[in-house]
Amino acid sequence: MATYIKGYFDFKLLITFLVLITIGLVSIYSSTADTPQYFTFYRQLAWSGVGLILLLIGMFIPLRELERTSYFVYFFSLIILALVLIAGQKVYGSKSWFGYGGFGIQPSEFVKITTIIAVSAFLGKSTTSIANLKDTLGVFGIVIAPVFLIMLQPDFGTALTYLGFFIPLIYWSGSSNALIVAIISPIIIAILSLLGTTYFVIALILVGIGIILLKEDIFISAVLFGINVISGIMTQIIYNILPFYQQKRILTFLDPSADPLGAGYNIIQSKVAIGSGGLFGKGFMNGSQTRLSFIPKQWTDFIFCVTGEEFGFIGSIIILGLFAYLLYRGLWLASITRNRFGSLLAMGITSLFAVHIIVNIGMVIGLMPVIGIPLPFLSYGGSSLCSYMLMAGLMLNVYMNRKLY
Amino acid sequence: MFQFSSEFGSQERKIIIQRILFVCFAIIVFRLFQLQYVYYEEFGKRSKENSIRTVIQEPIRGYIYDRNNILMVDNKPAYTVMIVPSDFDEKNIPLVSYILNIPTEEVKKNLRKAKIYNRFIPSRLKRDITYEQMAHIEEYGKKLRGIEVEAETKRTYVTNAKMSHALGYVKEISKRQIENSEEYYRPGDLIGNNGIESKYEKYLRGIKGFEYISQNSKGQRVGTFNNGNSDILPIDGADLYLSIDANVQALAESLLSDYRGAVVAIDPRNGGVIAFASKPDYDLTEFSGITTNEIWNSLLKNPTKPLFNRASLTRYPPGSTYKMVLAIAALENNIIDENWRVQCRGGFQFGNKYFKDLHIHGSTNVVEAIQKSCNVFFYQLMLKVGLDKWSQYGKEFGFGEVAGIDILEENSGLLPTTNYYNKTYGVGKWTQGYLISLGIGQGELGVTPIQMANYAAMLANKGKYFQPHILDYTFDRNTKKKELPEISQRQTKISEKTWQLVREGMRRVVMETSGTASAARVKKIVVAGKTGTAQNPHGQDHAWFVGFAPYDNPTIAICVLVENVGYGGAFAAPIAGKCIDRYLHPLPINKTIETLSVTENKNDSSKVAVQQKSGIN
Repeated sequence: MATYIKGYFDFKLLITFLVLITIGLVSIYSSTADTPQYFTFYRQLAWSGVGLILLLIGMFIPLRELERTSYFVYFFSLIILALVLIAGQKVYGSKSWFGYGGFGIQPSEFVKITTIIAVSAFLGKSTTSIANLKDTLGVFGIVIAPVFLIMLQPDFGTALTYLGFFIPLIYWSGSSNALIVAIISPIIIAILSLLGTTYFVIALILVGIGIILLKEDIFISAVLFGINVISGIMTQIIYNILPFYQQKRILTFLDPSADPLGAGYNIIQSKVAIGSGGLFGKGFMNGSQTRLSFIPKQWTDFIFCVTGEEFGFIGSIIILGLFAYLLYRGLWLASITRNRFGSLLAMGITSLFAVHIIVNIGMVIGLMPVIGIPLPFLSYGGSSLCSYMLMAGLMLNVYMNRKLY
Repeated sequence: MFQFSSEFGSQERKIIIQRILFVCFAIIVFRLFQLQYVYYEEFGKRSKENSIRTVIQEPIRGYIYDRNNILMVDNKPAYTVMIVPSDFDEKNIPLVSYILNIPTEEVKKNLRKAKIYNRFIPSRLKRDITYEQMAHIEEYGKKLRGIEVEAETKRTYVTNAKMSHALGYVKEISKRQIENSEEYYRPGDLIGNNGIESKYEKYLRGIKGFEYISQNSKGQRVGTFNNGNSDILPIDGADLYLSIDANVQALAESLLSDYRGAVVAIDPRNGGVIAFASKPDYDLTEFSGITTNEIWNSLLKNPTKPLFNRASLTRYPPGSTYKMVLAIAALENNIIDENWRVQCRGGFQFGNKYFKDLHIHGSTNVVEAIQKSCNVFFYQLMLKVGLDKWSQYGKEFGFGEVAGIDILEENSGLLPTTNYYNKTYGVGKWTQGYLISLGIGQGELGVTPIQMANYAAMLANKGKYFQPHILDYTFDRNTKKKELPEISQRQTKISEKTWQLVREGMRRVVMETSGTASAARVKKIVVAGKTGTAQNPHGQDHAWFVGFAPYDNPTIAICVLVENVGYGGAFAAPIAGKCIDRYLHPLPINKTIETLSVTENKNDSSKVAVQQKSGIN
């Protein structure tokens, strides 16, 4: 019986989730106790309870039903996302909330899940082939719709994370390397072209070499290269017709240190917080940067500097280790699951976690631009915590059904 | 068409994704190691600077007492308006300007400065506001957010002894003073200016304390740092106990109040200054806190020069008060003895010039010459003694150089010597005739009241020089340590017989009916002294008196100078007598005492109570 249950439940993954949530609660407590936001901890505790229920729902919902109803749920979530644009509340400059009083729900957090499920269902069908141009466009369509709506809020950070699971999913489903290059390289070129012509030319040469290494035929290579050139030039043209304040916003996004009192301020303070933690940290509740609220709203997107300051390098490595194990386990799960839908679901959720973890920590330690996305399980936020726990439940669900076709 | 796909979920692709993730995590770990290990010190330092703010704690400035432990200088609360720019609504500028009675431009200027310094920390807007203004601010309460009233201390003078020139005042430090002082002061600090407030600044000011507080990113206080264990408490300034007798001082000031002049009294036993009055003076309370430009300008433009310290800066010929120097020089060099006589016929012809005397004194010896202030005697004596010996003894009594009193500003006076005449007129171009005036203390000879008081003290104690000092001792209330000022001393070699003759002459000046200073007499006390009248080519003569008492065992030596009034015996001597009387017959202490009952023309309003503060702590 014990062996049966052990084989049935992925306890290792479950424990990893629970430990991460606990660390998150501890960090939120430390960063808000004795401040007017002390209630944040209790709210997160309450949301964890709600999240546990969602985890159980995710675990035990029949996968076949999920697959069958995926398009319906997907469209339903899109409608809600559209409604939020019309009737939602504006928080921190984005119209992304439904709420009353102090409580609110951010539908975009859940649309990520419905989109992953829909893409997985679409690519998981035996009749679908990513080699087929029509099906490729179909996948694009499923992802573009919510991205478009989220861009209208506007919340570019969240929109960007859709790429984070979209690319791994089509890659996992067997797309050619050329398609992946065709998607990723224009984005890189576009960003680099903003930094200057030299970067643009160097990036273009590197992409050219990459395309040659792909050993595709001349026509495809030429099209790929053409897309890149056009992407770079178009970015420059669009950038130049933008008003000055928007140009500045883009530049700050790329280089926060250019604006030390605005976006740059957070990065500088979070680096000071983490750096001053040293190897062993300042101790629980002793982080002066944290306790004295030098980093605005750090219990949300900047939660990683709380642990970095109070538990030091050792603490940071422990958290990174837990995340690494989570991702490793998720990839393993995707590769052993025989059911295509389940495998894609595991891959989609794992890669969404990966993108959030890498982009969030990369931002906090000053390696990436400030993109307002939370750190899974640790950051304060009811909607995001609930959506992550639902996804965790789905992963456990896939594990339980890994042997089914 | 072309091949757009490969196998679903291949092991190869899983490994590629794994490697990509591995690289990302490796970069993050490397970066964390860099931040938390390699740059740890730099970030650690920045985080400390971020969150810990130092708040300076002002020590209490030392109190000043007189020789009878009467509190003279106290600290009283003063109220300063502070502004916190982040909380302040600029719409209220006109209101603040109205309440504080300062131009809006000044409010704006100070607000700008405060913003630059720190938007979240209170900065001074106006020092020393009135109770009415404070009540006004409180009345507006919440409407005037960002305006706070902070209590500071301010010097207050509790006796009616002003002693403006000797005490000095406490004022906000100037830019130049900050540049010229050691690294203790910051803008806005108070510092002693002039007098003993300046001289003993280092004792009085104490040592600033530092409180370390935790602040948040807005600079708002959120608690103590390290439970206050790192704080450094301020150390209050040491108290000064002066040798001044506040009652004598107050009396001297009131006696001089209708004149321009100075009274300096010294304890001949140790050089302690008993009184140091200079009139006209100014009100120190106007200098404590803020001094308006109007007050400054009116003081600077006042023709009577109230800011000028007459007691140690003014320089006049001493007149007849100087005759004892010549007598001593003559007796010590055995040029004359007590039996040497001069026939005074009311004047003295030298070459084509006639030097007058006031009276016809007839046959006069040295004691009688001092008693009656016979000029003819001293004209002739000067010619016998000569310049060199005369100036040598002048130097013995401290003339021609600063007396060394502990209030910094002092004139050295002028004691003519052979060198001086050679320099001024050329070698051989001056004659004996130049000396005759010097014999009766006129001519180029210039002395200050403090030098004269020192001279009187040396006549009293038979030639002991003690550096005059207003400070008796400092007392540190924390360490209970007393510290005495270092004073230089020396003893002149003048024979007992000479002292007897000269001092007997001085006794007769006051005590005998034919003396010139009977106005200086004091009930039951034998007073000795000498009057002098400094000739003034520009107006009325200046009246001098030097003296000491009691004759046999002197405890007070005094010099009185009254400008532009006439004879020393008529104007200076009575003031000296009253001061000596007050010193030797002190008013009962431990009671509220009246000190201004002396001059007849004083009305009741000038009777001011002297507050008595009992002992040390």
